[in-house]
Amino acid sequence: MNLNFDKQPIDILQALANWGLIFGVLVCIGLAIALIMSVANNKKKGVSRFFENLGEGLRDLFGMSLKRLGAIANLTLKEAIRRKALLVFVVFAVLFMFGGWFLSDTNNRAELQLSVYVSFVLTAIGWLIFPVALILACWGIPEDIRLRSLHTVVTKPVKRSEIVLGRILGFIGVGTIVVGIMSVLGYVWILRQVPEEVQSRLVARVPVYGSLNFRDREGEDSEAGVNTGDINPYRSYIEGASKARAKWTFDGVSPGVLQTDPETGEAALLVENSFQAFRTHKGVIDEVLHGQYTLVNPETDLRVQLPQFPIYEFRQNLAWIPRELIYYNEETKETETKDLFDDMVSDGKLIVEARCVDVGQFLGMARPDLFLRLPDRPFASSFFKSVFGIWLMMVLIVVLGVTASTFVKGPVATILLFTLILVGTGFNQFMDDILSGEVRGAGLVESGIRILNHGNPIVEKPESLEESAAVQGVDQAFTGMLWGVSHIIPNFNMFSFKAYTASGFDVPMKVAVLPALLMVIGFFIPCLMLGYFSLKLRELEAK
Amino acid sequence: MSENAVIEIRNLTKIYRDFWGRPKVRAVNSLSLDVKPGEVFGLLGPNGSGKTTTIKMLLGLLFPSEGDIRILGKPATDVAKNEHIGYLPEESYLYRFLNAEETLDFYGRLFDMTSAERKQRTDELIKMVGLDKARRRQLKEYSKGMTRRIGLAQALINNPKLVLLDEPTSGLDPIGTREMKDLIIKLKEEGKTVVMCSHLLADVQDVCDRIAILYNGELKQLGMVDELLASQDKTQIVSSSLSDEAVDEIKAVIAKHNGTVQEVTNPTTSLEELFLQTVAESQARPGQRFVAESEKAANTTTVD
Repeated sequence: MNLNFDKQPIDILQALANWGLIFGVLVCIGLAIALIMSVANNKKKGVSRFFENLGEGLRDLFGMSLKRLGAIANLTLKEAIRRKALLVFVVFAVLFMFGGWFLSDTNNRAELQLSVYVSFVLTAIGWLIFPVALILACWGIPEDIRLRSLHTVVTKPVKRSEIVLGRILGFIGVGTIVVGIMSVLGYVWILRQVPEEVQSRLVARVPVYGSLNFRDREGEDSEAGVNTGDINPYRSYIEGASKARAKWTFDGVSPGVLQTDPETGEAALLVENSFQAFRTHKGVIDEVLHGQYTLVNPETDLRVQLPQFPIYEFRQNLAWIPRELIYYNEETKETETKDLFDDMVSDGKLIVEARCVDVGQFLGMARPDLFLRLPDRPFASSFFKSVFGIWLMMVLIVVLGVTASTFVKGPVATILLFTLILVGTGFNQFMDDILSGEVRGAGLVESGIRILNHGNPIVEKPESLEESAAVQGVDQAFTGMLWGVSHIIPNFNMFSFKAYTASGFDVPMKVAVLPALLMVIGFFIPCLMLGYFSLKLRELEAK
Repeated sequence: MSENAVIEIRNLTKIYRDFWGRPKVRAVNSLSLDVKPGEVFGLLGPNGSGKTTTIKMLLGLLFPSEGDIRILGKPATDVAKNEHIGYLPEESYLYRFLNAEETLDFYGRLFDMTSAERKQRTDELIKMVGLDKARRRQLKEYSKGMTRRIGLAQALINNPKLVLLDEPTSGLDPIGTREMKDLIIKLKEEGKTVVMCSHLLADVQDVCDRIAILYNGELKQLGMVDELLASQDKTQIVSSSLSDEAVDEIKAVIAKHNGTVQEVTNPTTSLEELFLQTVAESQARPGQRFVAESEKAANTTTVD
């Protein structure tokens, strides 16, 4: 099993800059609205009241009492437990008591079974915890206001920030208990369900990815290989028995990446690929395609061709490359010996070229299809990182739900958050594609005009539209708004790490865990401020 | 503003508005009054007169449309003022899934009290409000009277300087009412300031030093209860039982001084006193019961 997506490590500085820009703009808009409302309500005293409230707000946000936070969080926890929120375990138990019946596979691919079980457990945990978190978070404060229990709290020396944060912490506590217990039970369930013959595959592979470039059939550098007609351009193909190559450049290659080859017992570099084949003729029946690696020193251009290897599709193709490389040098026509690190690696860089051996056949490859493999980590490492992803999403739902519940009632907050999750899960990528130009279309006004004129997006833009500064301006403004919206609505897909775990990979920190964690923090700060000011500036007893 | 007032209200106005911001109801109109330290102050008025709205503005639950409020020298919106305030709402809006101990412990924690302080105070208050036997029962199992009691206990958890009581006797039986009134008097003796709003006039009369009467959100009367109720043109003499001759002689003396005797009667006790006396006697002699005249007659016939 391999990955069918290619995520890049997060650029933290860029992410911080984006966050700062959006946060700054929203804070400025919020402050401007608050100032106008304060002047409208308080006339001459409006400006001074605005600054008084602002100062008080900052003091409240930074001067919270741990004891009060603990009291409110503890109350929230007790409330959820005594109102039977933990009944969710009954559903969980039923799922796992009988789930195995329906998930057992009859085909002979036992390793796929492993993937099914892991996906099932992680999906079940997510689907059970998210509705619970959503409902608890959206209804907690509105119910407190409706039943007026909050009156007895806000008439104590409790800051509104403590109520918002205390509630958030309490609901996170409930969610943590639920996710914690479910994940431990799920982990044990997987260990017991997975067929014995693939128990050894219950590991977390740790890949080191490189950057990928291609050479075409003439041997010239190119950005991509051949498109064999697949609508999904994820993999590029190289032609067999030609000069076409896929070229991976790895950084930070050191003796630390070596593992012990189980056959020779010596330290060796483990390279794994999951290339896919595209056949232009059926070839030899029952025979797989073959590939070949060439190691290249990026500085000296020394090339060492390794033996050919068979490529089994949809399986792990492993190649152990020994430190001492014995190869036939076609230029000198002699067998030579080179050291993997002394001769092939320069400044930690190593190039691995791959080619397809078979004539008339193609091998498809994407960046994650070939990687250096570090020593495996325990399966638990990957599994519990995926659980951490679910936990992070639960935290974000709680943060958003509690914030929404400070200014609207429970049902409205629930619908609002549900919509947000729906858009953030299903349409975030679509918005990004529109903004990046990947999806063919146009600006709002231009699209409207095209619809009225029965012109589809393929039709050239009319000159009148091209020249109209007003249309261009309005469309640019809407595109800017769409950019803002796409950044304000969280991309909930970022929290799903199960593809890594189900495929037998460790969950990468910089690519998956860190972005998800930063996203939660990025939403937590403005949400806490919004929730606080919303609760502070509203009358809890308004008729 | 007066320097030593616990509560200072100046030109307080509250206008409830509709969704579009148009004025709907003027619940409180230009209210100005002070509450002095150590007094029991009553806010009176019929339903909808603005009592509860005023209390809620004092607590920061509602924002004044106009005017200023200072409580213990601080603005009403300053949460720091709540350190020294106890509030009993009209209904005891407590967390029904907590028991009495947990309730008081929770509110104690909101005052940053230490664990030992909370425990001690919880014990004291639970005993004081008579819920010792029900301290581990969840509040959802409590009767209305019990809920009022635990509500009162939470209002006193921080040993407040100022106690705000919204309809403190509502929902209480006569015994509970009497206990509540005794407690209010005790709080006054301890030097606390009590502000209560109620439309049960007898209760207010029994415990309040000063009262304000609101009607349609406006202050109509303000002053000491005794002064407001005193009839300056009448004199009352209460004596032990006198003979008819003695009464005639007194009438003659009054007539001699150009006075007019309007009424000579035996004073009646209040219904509350009668009820409390009956309950006390019943507790002292559990087997005794009231036998109606008709029942007595029937019993006599049967014996015959």
